[in-house]
Amino acid sequence: MNATASNAGMANSLGIDGIGQISIIAHDLPRATAFYRDVLGLPLLFTAGNMAFFGCGGVRLMLGPASAPELDHQSSILYFRVPDVHAAHQHLVNMGVKIEAPPRLIARMQTYDLWMVGFRDSEGNIMQLMSEVPRSS
Amino acid sequence: MNSQENTALARIAQIAINAHDVDRATAFYRDVLGLPHLFRAGQLSFFDCGGVRLMLDKPEKPEFDHPSSILYFQVGDIRAAHQRLKHAGAKFEDEPHVIAQMPSHDLWMSFFRDSEGNLLALMSEVARPS
Repeated sequence: MNATASNAGMANSLGIDGIGQISIIAHDLPRATAFYRDVLGLPLLFTAGNMAFFGCGGVRLMLGPASAPELDHQSSILYFRVPDVHAAHQHLVNMGVKIEAPPRLIARMQTYDLWMVGFRDSEGNIMQLMSEVPRSS
Repeated sequence: MNSQENTALARIAQIAINAHDVDRATAFYRDVLGLPHLFRAGQLSFFDCGGVRLMLDKPEKPEFDHPSSILYFQVGDIRAAHQRLKHAGAKFEDEPHVIAQMPSHDLWMSFFRDSEGNLLALMSEVARPS
């Protein structure tokens, strides 16, 4: 059995199915809720106390205050997949979102070009849109 | 707006996780968490987790040098996963416990640290006997 196969076996026995949820610290929950719902267009699943939960392709985003000072830091960069990075970029510009840099070609893969554009959410977190554009042969 | 389909954020494709020692972190995510390692590109190390790519990366600027968001890994049996991870050397913050009683299930969680000190969690939705 090679290393890859034994790793796959371990994964099965630990039983991680996927990422169920990601927490994002929001200092102003109404502002953050408006951003994720109205600007990013994600479905608001429910709110619970001072937390708001959004769906994104089966992963839940949990927006809320930091429960400890240690946790009061920026989010991990989340890379949202979009079909058309240029159209999505234009949409964000129209909505007044702070863009880090214009869309750019990050990597040329074998069958597609990987495009990304970085932006900030309402709480100052850096996020990215990404799109895999098939290479015209 | 007719461009709505083109601008829809369909799903999360990737999540960046800061790692001060990418080799050490690669070993943790591969050998302790047991996630499939996809590939390595310089200081970047990529894993798959149920169709979402995790990118371990050494922060380039001080501004980016902060812990990861808490990622909640979904497992079927949280007690078994907790035991396995603990034996594999993961540092746990607490024992598996019910964090919320939902109408149809109990939501269980248990928090732990990766090799880089990032706070992560196991989560499991346990159906309520009716």
